[in-house]
Amino acid sequence: MPTESISAQTSGAGRPSAAGGVIHDLGYQRYDGPRLGRSQIVAALAWHSFRSAFGFGRGARAKIVPVIALIAICLPAIINAFAMSKGQARIVDYDTYTPVLRDLIMTVFVAVQAPELVSRDLRNRVLPLYFSRPIKPGDYPLAKYLGFTAACLVMLEVPLLLLYAGSVVNVHGGSAVWAQTRALIPGLLLGVMWAVSLAAISLFLASLNGRRGLATGAVAIVLLLSYTLAEILLQVETQSAIDGPTVPGAPPPVSIGQKVAGLFSPYTLFDGVRRWLGGTNLGDNVPKVGAFGAVYALVLIVIVGLCLYGLAARYRKARLS
Amino acid sequence: MRASPPAGPAGPVSVPGAVIEAAALTKVYPGGVTALAGLTVAFPPGVTGLIGANGAGKSTLIKVLLGLLEPTQGMAKVLGYDCVKDGMRIRQLVGYMPEHDCLPADITATEFVTHMGRMSGLPATAARERAAEALRHVGLHEERYRQIGTYSTGMKQRVKLAQALVGDPRLLLLDEPTNGLDPAGRNAMLELIERIGAEFGIPIVVASHLLGEIERICDSLVAIEAGKLLRADTMDSFTRASQTLLIEVEEGADALRQELARRGLHARPYQRALLVPIAGEDTYDAVRDAVAALGVPLSRLEQRRHQVEEIFRDEDNTGQPSQLEAADAY
Repeated sequence: MPTESISAQTSGAGRPSAAGGVIHDLGYQRYDGPRLGRSQIVAALAWHSFRSAFGFGRGARAKIVPVIALIAICLPAIINAFAMSKGQARIVDYDTYTPVLRDLIMTVFVAVQAPELVSRDLRNRVLPLYFSRPIKPGDYPLAKYLGFTAACLVMLEVPLLLLYAGSVVNVHGGSAVWAQTRALIPGLLLGVMWAVSLAAISLFLASLNGRRGLATGAVAIVLLLSYTLAEILLQVETQSAIDGPTVPGAPPPVSIGQKVAGLFSPYTLFDGVRRWLGGTNLGDNVPKVGAFGAVYALVLIVIVGLCLYGLAARYRKARLS
Repeated sequence: MRASPPAGPAGPVSVPGAVIEAAALTKVYPGGVTALAGLTVAFPPGVTGLIGANGAGKSTLIKVLLGLLEPTQGMAKVLGYDCVKDGMRIRQLVGYMPEHDCLPADITATEFVTHMGRMSGLPATAARERAAEALRHVGLHEERYRQIGTYSTGMKQRVKLAQALVGDPRLLLLDEPTNGLDPAGRNAMLELIERIGAEFGIPIVVASHLLGEIERICDSLVAIEAGKLLRADTMDSFTRASQTLLIEVEEGADALRQELARRGLHARPYQRALLVPIAGEDTYDAVRDAVAALGVPLSRLEQRRHQVEEIFRDEDNTGQPSQLEAADAY
């Protein structure tokens, strides 16, 4: 070792190996420093997943979609702040933000980035390397879920915080600021609901397929189709409610059909829960749900639960090949 | 190995310094497939070849050793830790190189090995340093900043080895490390493994279905077949037991064989020649006398460097070619 290490250090000329590489020998160093525990490794993997959700640690191409999506979703907040500086009132709401735009951008984001987190590892068969490390098989999907939920939170909450910042600098007086803050908080909480749910649904769907394109397609199709289906059902049911018997002078009552229609897509579920919790702004055309909103919340919880269960089941068996 | 009898009764093993011990290790999969059938063996430090045809139980054994699969019966210990109870601790101490491709294409080797170092429990800075070092040890230099997708098979195998090495393992489990490599790449990989074993002082288990390939870098061998131990011993005792004399005669090979049998030597045909195990000095005398007695024209008499695979063939008394040989016949 000593003789080789000297020649390698001084000249950089090692012994050429058959595969074309050069082997230098500076001696092997043992590692006696601290080692992370299981929870810290999971945290490291979650952080790594969070970074990959925005393309960090990958080539420039991997950053295109997430960065454009983040800019696009922040634009309304920026435009709003600009408009407010010109004396306009706040036109974007904290709880709904920009209903259709946000649905669309989040769909693109999770459809493209969820496969980035899970399908690549399946496709490249990296999982055996994770399973042979000091974590449990369930830790892998857990870390991916935590990381991706955090990434979705950035997508959902950063625009709200920008909107808030833009509003606060343009209003005057403590009560106005307080009003903005009070409006912001439900928005942030709803953002958490969105992030927790979308991450679960998209990671589960993406984990079913190692082919990235197919995984993206699966996530996008499920989210878009379900949304379209729910909207069509809503239209149909709304029409029949209008055509039905009405009390003169009163708005047509919301039929049970309209309420049920909203159960068919995550985005209408989000909106139903929002209205159930007291949101008044118009969102994804979900009618006033009233007490039926509890069903929305229940269905959403069941869907998220099933997706998380499915995601965990996908990785329960530690395969080495 | 030194202390574990190949066909002995399955009892608790206790081998001083053994890095892996298994006693009556049995794994029956839910479908009824028996992958391990009462395997009792101990792996000494140094480089140990784990030889077995596909389906012999190598992969199942590796999974059990990594604590990822619970055995149906029996026990296994790695570095003194129980595979069922201390799987997590074992995975902290063992570096594993899978048989199949397991590398993402669109990230650099440095980033990948660093990440895998983190997953082995290294803090961020240590992971970066050790990743650079591990890649250097396997002979990747400037290339390590390139995306893995641009690598040759040989380079990818090196990255796989580097990720096993990054966490400073106390034991390396390498599953078919020469898979997919050309002869030159194979030699380079085997040299590397030999160096890691000898110079870094890390015990290594090399699983392979090609005995002839890895035997030259191994200090000892464990051969399994159908989930059972076929034979385990040091290379030294393998070669000691494997001295043979090759006798080639122009004609009368059959007569010579009978003559040798009469003199108590079991000769077996090998191509056009005969192979006789060397028991001692007497063997040479007996062969000389037999040839002289028959007056057959002797054209070659050679002490052979024995290939270990032939020993298995010799010991396979069932008359059926074992799976091991079938896989190894080249």
